Amino acid sequence: MKQSHNAGAREFGLRLWRALRQPLIAVLFGLLVGALVILACGQNPAAVYLEMFDKSFFKPYYLFSTLTRATPIIICSMATSMAWRAGYINIGVEGQMVTGTLVATVVALYVPGPPVLIGLLAWIAGMAAGALYALLPAVLTWKFQVSMVITTLMLNYVANNIASYFVTYPLKDTSGDGLSFHTPEIHEVMRLPRLSSSSTFNAGFLLAVAVMLLMVFITRKTVFGYESKMGGFNPSFARYGGTKQVKVMMITMALSGAIASLAGSAEVFGLKYRYSDGMLSSTSYAWTGLMAALIADLDPIGMFFVSIFLSGLQIGGSAIQRSLGIPLEIATIIQCCITLFVSVKLVFKIRKKKASKEEVKEGGVKA
Amino acid sequence: MKHITKVYGSLYANDDVHLTLDKGEILAVVGENGAGKSTLMKILYGLEQPTSGEIYLNGQLQHFRSPHDAVNQKIGMVQQHFMLLNPCTVAENIVYGREPRKGIFFDREGAVRVTEALCEKYGLYIDPRRRVGDCPVGLQQRVEILKVLYQDADIIIFDEPSAVLTPQEVNELLRTMRKLADMGKSIIIITHKLHEVMAVADRVMVMRLGKYIQEMPKSETSIQEMSYLMVGRHIVERKVPPREPTGRVLDVQDLVLAGSDAKNILDHFSIHVDGGEIVGIAGVSGNGQSELIQCLTGLLQPTSGKILLKGQDVAGKTVGEIRTAGCACIPEDRYLWGCAAKASLTETAIMAHQNRPEISKRGLLNGKGAKDFTRALLDGYDVRNSGQAQRAGELSGGNIQKLIVAREVEQHSPLLIAAEPTRGVDIGAMEFIHNKLLEKRERGDAVLLISSELTEIMSLSDRIYVIYEGKATGEFRKADATEEGLGILMMGGKSHEAVS
Repeated sequence: MKQSHNAGAREFGLRLWRALRQPLIAVLFGLLVGALVILACGQNPAAVYLEMFDKSFFKPYYLFSTLTRATPIIICSMATSMAWRAGYINIGVEGQMVTGTLVATVVALYVPGPPVLIGLLAWIAGMAAGALYALLPAVLTWKFQVSMVITTLMLNYVANNIASYFVTYPLKDTSGDGLSFHTPEIHEVMRLPRLSSSSTFNAGFLLAVAVMLLMVFITRKTVFGYESKMGGFNPSFARYGGTKQVKVMMITMALSGAIASLAGSAEVFGLKYRYSDGMLSSTSYAWTGLMAALIADLDPIGMFFVSIFLSGLQIGGSAIQRSLGIPLEIATIIQCCITLFVSVKLVFKIRKKKASKEEVKEGGVKA
Repeated sequence: MKHITKVYGSLYANDDVHLTLDKGEILAVVGENGAGKSTLMKILYGLEQPTSGEIYLNGQLQHFRSPHDAVNQKIGMVQQHFMLLNPCTVAENIVYGREPRKGIFFDREGAVRVTEALCEKYGLYIDPRRRVGDCPVGLQQRVEILKVLYQDADIIIFDEPSAVLTPQEVNELLRTMRKLADMGKSIIIITHKLHEVMAVADRVMVMRLGKYIQEMPKSETSIQEMSYLMVGRHIVERKVPPREPTGRVLDVQDLVLAGSDAKNILDHFSIHVDGGEIVGIAGVSGNGQSELIQCLTGLLQPTSGKILLKGQDVAGKTVGEIRTAGCACIPEDRYLWGCAAKASLTETAIMAHQNRPEISKRGLLNGKGAKDFTRALLDGYDVRNSGQAQRAGELSGGNIQKLIVAREVEQHSPLLIAAEPTRGVDIGAMEFIHNKLLEKRERGDAVLLISSELTEIMSLSDRIYVIYEGKATGEFRKADATEEGLGILMMGGKSHEAVS
């Protein structure tokens, strides 16, 4: 009994180490490169970093800002990983998010009925729209073997431009100064509750936590999660094992798109209360989420923390720009360097694979 | 080579190994898979650097940092997996790396002349203008040999040269080796096929678990002694008692798979397999075996024909439907089909079992059920592992193969397709896997064994078909099958011995 407990603990330790090893090393190197850039700006890296983390994680007000900003990033990273772990390179999370959010906002604004019900309906409609928008490239891949990378990427532009059109013309809020392109505000009852009296921190973050838990559940506890993961590791293996790959692809992409829509809906219903032009694309939520997914190697818990960390870098980055005059781009540089250093892992892996292949050629030395 | 030691991590691939080679001699290095033969040769050819030890050539100490150094010292190697450019001609392949030139241009006619001269000199004839991709495997190997001779090698290493050849091609190869040795070349042949050693070698060196065991002149040893030295124990020859078949399980009728050109990949292929029977399909690789397996398992859609599995036509059904209908499959390429390198052992073990009630209910996995199931497979099939979180890619070839065999045998399906079930595994694992296949037969299930290893087919099968260019060209009962009879058919010849 005790032995099996020990084995379980060891296995858990191994898993945790595997999940955290790469991101930690990458973060370290990323900060190191950032330090060089800060030095080049003529500042003391230690002092800058101290200030930066102080104004992103250590002071409650900034911590709340960090978590608020992290909310859509976390959800986007989950949406990305949903598809990527099954081997479908969906880089259209932004488009799916925009489509879903626009539909949700329209439903919330224009469908008549009791606000509570309509609010709920809006979220569901948004998820359906995001799912459908993600199914489009999946169907194209299935029927015509079109590269999903290309279709999902291109559909981002389609979604962004269509959304721009709608908020510029038919959905534009004409009550204000008429200079900004956004919709009217949604009904107060539909808004997510604030979790802090002094900041905009809201229940959207709890939704992000829930999505993460859902991801953990799907990946670890369901047959679907198992089959899609195997398909991502080696599609031939999954096919040989008799899994229904088209079905897995459709469900995967639909879920990915539905989750993506939640990211934008949380932003509208929890923070802005309206859809304004470019609110989801200029902030790069989807791309930061993609980076978090890459850095954490698609592990849900890892992505959760990495998303918060990246969001902290951005919040801290703008803080040091204000107080120390260090350009905001420093945060972007660090963020990109971390992602770069994580991809170093790929090189290691390829080398390892080569080595193991040679071993196989020889007939399994370790046998 | 003196005191050669090569360490990978904590594993001694070579442990203080000595090797000497005289001019004009054929030395056979024998040992099981994983005995360290290939490592030793890689060190000699400069592909690997020894952890310690020295190499002397004609009395001079050498340091080979790359194959380039070895080639400069007139050492050549005929690889097990040919390193040829298939779209190019024979001549172009042979001169590749040291091309004859006209000014700055490649001299194609010069290359042909060089090749013809080389063929003449060594008596190895081949058409220099033929595309390598069009040559049969035996000729491709000849191209490899000529390439090494073109590089003026005095020492030629053959790494498992007969693995891909038919018996007739093997005989041809052995004659070639003898001829080269008579012309003063020194030859090292790495193999685990002992009758080839007896046919061609002058001297034999045995390795086991990375260690030098013994060497002796061929005239003073025997196959029994060598196999004893290789394994460290006596191998009992397998006696398979005959068994009455119990009704038809698989009936393949007129199966056709069209190719991209006019020729069919599978051409009106018909076989049947009964319960309690192991049926072997012998053939040189590339005669439609892979496609046959993929049609039978649903990975490929056959163009026409019937596949009756327990009376139900499953041709064109999906993999899942065919598995449910009662077919399991040990795939021919374990890394392509059989597993995913990044998957844990649990994830590897439950593939195609994931919907069993003890592993999942209504789409929800039962983690403990999956672990218990995996544990039973790992223990029952002696898969050495460091816990279920280990990745499949981290297991050795023999161990991952045992896990795949376990997974497929434990489907307890009426039909098991075993494709190359022991490719690249050591003798211990091979015996184990063979026993499992025989146990399956004992339970009255049908086993279809597809293997390029003729000895494996002949020792296990109750009946044997030969496949040649997508056709079933012969059917033998175990008692009537001889290596020669099968070999002729495998090369496309006609035989009078075939029963139907």
